Amino acid sequence: MPERAELLQGTLDLLILKSLVVGPLHGWGISKRLRQMSSDIFDVGQGSLYPALYRLEDRGLISASWGISEEGRRAKFYALTPAGRREFAAERAQWRRFASTVELVLRAN
Amino acid sequence: MPSLWRRLRALFARARIEREMREEMRQHVDLEAAELARTRGLAASEARRQALIAFGGVARFEEEHRDARGTRWLEDFARDLRYAARSLARSPAFTLSAAAVLALGIGSTTAIFSAVDAVVIARLPYPHDEQLVRIFEQNAPGHRWNISNADFLAVDAEQRSFSAVGSMRYGEVAISTGGDPRRAVVVRATSGFFRAIGVLAEHGRLLEPRDDVRGAPNVLVVTHEFAEHELGGAAAAVGKSVTVDGAAATVVGVLPPGYRDLAGARTDLWPSLQLETPTRRGPFQNAMVARLKEGVSLAAARGDLSAISRRLTERWSADFPDTLARLTPYTLRSVILRDAPRTLSIFSAAVLMVLLIAVANVASLMLVRVAGRSRELTLRAVLGASSGRIARLLITESVAVGALGAVLGIACAWVVLHALAWIGPVIPRLAEVTLDARAVGFAALVGIAAGAIIAVQPVAVLLRGAPASALRGGDREVGAGRGTHALRGALVSTQFALALPLLAGAGLLLNSFLRLERVDAGFDASPLLYVHLSLPRGAYADDAAINTFWTRAIARVRETPGIVDAGVSGEMPGEMSGDFDNFDLLDRPVPPGTSEPTTVAAPADAGFFTATRVPLLEGRLFTEGDSANAPPVIIVSRSWVRRFSRDRPALGRQIFQGGCRTCPPTTIVGVVGDVRFQGLAGEGDAMYNPTAQSRMRDANLFARTSGDPAREVERVRGALRSLDPALALDDAGPLEPRVRGTLAPQRHLATLLGGFAIAAVVLAAVGIFGMLSYLVESRRREIGVRVALGARRPEVIAMILRRGMAFAVPGAALGLAAALLSGRWLAGVLYDVGSADPATLIGVTLVLLLVALVACWLPARRAAGVAPMVALREE
Repeated sequence: MPERAELLQGTLDLLILKSLVVGPLHGWGISKRLRQMSSDIFDVGQGSLYPALYRLEDRGLISASWGISEEGRRAKFYALTPAGRREFAAERAQWRRFASTVELVLRAN
Repeated sequence: MPSLWRRLRALFARARIEREMREEMRQHVDLEAAELARTRGLAASEARRQALIAFGGVARFEEEHRDARGTRWLEDFARDLRYAARSLARSPAFTLSAAAVLALGIGSTTAIFSAVDAVVIARLPYPHDEQLVRIFEQNAPGHRWNISNADFLAVDAEQRSFSAVGSMRYGEVAISTGGDPRRAVVVRATSGFFRAIGVLAEHGRLLEPRDDVRGAPNVLVVTHEFAEHELGGAAAAVGKSVTVDGAAATVVGVLPPGYRDLAGARTDLWPSLQLETPTRRGPFQNAMVARLKEGVSLAAARGDLSAISRRLTERWSADFPDTLARLTPYTLRSVILRDAPRTLSIFSAAVLMVLLIAVANVASLMLVRVAGRSRELTLRAVLGASSGRIARLLITESVAVGALGAVLGIACAWVVLHALAWIGPVIPRLAEVTLDARAVGFAALVGIAAGAIIAVQPVAVLLRGAPASALRGGDREVGAGRGTHALRGALVSTQFALALPLLAGAGLLLNSFLRLERVDAGFDASPLLYVHLSLPRGAYADDAAINTFWTRAIARVRETPGIVDAGVSGEMPGEMSGDFDNFDLLDRPVPPGTSEPTTVAAPADAGFFTATRVPLLEGRLFTEGDSANAPPVIIVSRSWVRRFSRDRPALGRQIFQGGCRTCPPTTIVGVVGDVRFQGLAGEGDAMYNPTAQSRMRDANLFARTSGDPAREVERVRGALRSLDPALALDDAGPLEPRVRGTLAPQRHLATLLGGFAIAAVVLAAVGIFGMLSYLVESRRREIGVRVALGARRPEVIAMILRRGMAFAVPGAALGLAAALLSGRWLAGVLYDVGSADPATLIGVTLVLLLVALVACWLPARRAAGVAPMVALREE
């Protein structure tokens, strides 16, 4: 089992948006996708995931609708809204700037 | 605003959303369990268990979920409200007393708010009421009087500022619709009056210019109510006949319902007014109402009228030399409201104080309640409630108390409003005041605001961390904490500071009223009766007919069994009804261009003075020789002499009366005691003309009886009816209650303010009593120790009294300063009492401190009764 890492404050929203870029997913699907994308390093607690989803929905960045899942059950699917797409692009750019700056500082001698 | 919309939807669709949330959650767990079973080969039940563990606490999820949805505060509020209701219901004594105290304050404030709203703020019921003015003659600020025919005709012909001008003339005459004649107020008006007012007829027509012409048929307009009651319905009234002052008149129109008071004139009958062509400037007996043209200001109208006044003065300089007199417009509103804004501002200040005292009182109660619950609150804090959450709980509870107070307050407002209506004519239009939706809204707002204020101090104490110590000791130690006690003390001081000015105001009004009651009205009213008589023009056309009637009437009444003496006068003592007349001393005329002095002028016969026991001080009373053809004579009052004839003896001096310089001069033949015709607070100067020289159609007959005057009224009526059965005799009765009745407004003003003051003092006393009782209760142990160590009973009592009075005395001192500052407000309504009358102020301060002392005494005595061992064992 790989070593788990704590999520940095504020990055969960960015990761959720990223997981939805390829298409709508239901809540469990999002958590599974996050685990897969991070090679099982990030395991988002459901207690954080769902409030984050509702918060994003409340901000109009993602939309929710009921549909039928692959398993053939009624499920709530989350999808990026145009505003969410813009927000994702902006946050990703910001994160990259931040990460490279931190890296720059750490390499300095 | 999609976010707000979402939140609102979330709030209302709460059940559905929660269901969906649970479903989503269940699916998550199912999917996770299936995944675990598949990837790790776990049994279904174990996979499910692990999935649940991974998911975390379900409750926490729900809570955080709600926070994210943003409706939490409202749900919390609903829960707080349920909690507050439960908690208040558990202590009904606190809840009811707090709500009742608040209801007193909120109710009084709401009632006064309604009155201010309806009387001062609301508009008059006429289109564009701001354009309506009353026009007076005025020669100095504050000295204005009615206008004359000459004035009106000049204004009507020359003015450029008004779209309509009208004249009206007030009269009390006999009227009849076929049955017995009765006295009624009628106001004759010209057609311009109705054009100016702008009210339309319900049936028929209002007065028109053709009715103003002399010789036009007698017509009148009646109110809807009169038509309904006396003429068989509003629709049927037009064309019917009403006998007014002995002459038949035809009803041409009916006013809409609710117009029994038109421009301040209270009457049911509006006969047409046909003005006589003036032969002199006076008499000034018409009221003028006009409507400003669109866009013309009051100042512009004043300039216009001023120019007309100058031309009028030139035209009539021979008999009216007052060059300072100007026709002056006032807004109709200001004329109708008169003193009402001031009276209402006095009441507003009074109820505001009652409200603040009530709030301070309940705030103090709440402080104790919170202190008493500090264990419970601390427990909540320990169990994880944030201090913000607890503060919200307290605020919700306070606001709930405030809201309950508002509900009870509306009932209380109804009572106060009726008490207010009982003041009667001090506040015009008060009958129209009702508790409408605005009043209810106002009460609700005041209640919620009061609740919020009440919560401030407990929350402040809470946030300072006072309850933290509660778990360590008993409840009492915290409640009696230094901070809480000082706060309660400050609240008690505040209540005393607020109660004193109120008590002082009530004391001053009471003092003023008692002085008015003791005023010597100048006549002995006790076994007297009066009958008001009005001789119609038709049957009493000339002086001879009028004089014959009075001579015969007095003689007939004197012969009536039970009657000792009788006389007649044109005026009614004690009422503000006196007619003024101007005069000039022959041997010391006023400088040219200045106004002649004026004084009450009343026709009277010798019997008036003897029957009412007005003393003759010098000279003689009237005799039969003072007839219509004899040289004019006059009797003056003692105050008249003091005011106008200081330089030489009045007897024998001659005057020109009513500005007539071509008339024969009038000689003073007698001086009598003062009679206060201008109300009991008025001056006593007056002149009396003999009835035979006065053409007196409207008069009061006074008869001194040997027994109870109430029993003789019918007999006197009978005697008069035998002379002329057509006379209206309904305005008659014993004189004393009527004279005393003139003081009713002052009595009611003092009573109402006294009521507010008593409420304030009781609340303040309850406040200090409550604080000290609590202090004694929470210090039983300390007191017990003192007693055990040898403190004697008086010492313990003194200690507690000192504690209480230490807050009452500074409060009262502050209140005294406030009373001195605010007393000027009352100056205008006080009679013979200064607004800073030391006796009154010292008196009420002592009363208030005495009340405080008694309120402190009760808990002090209980403290002194503390048995040391019992108190020590309790802890």
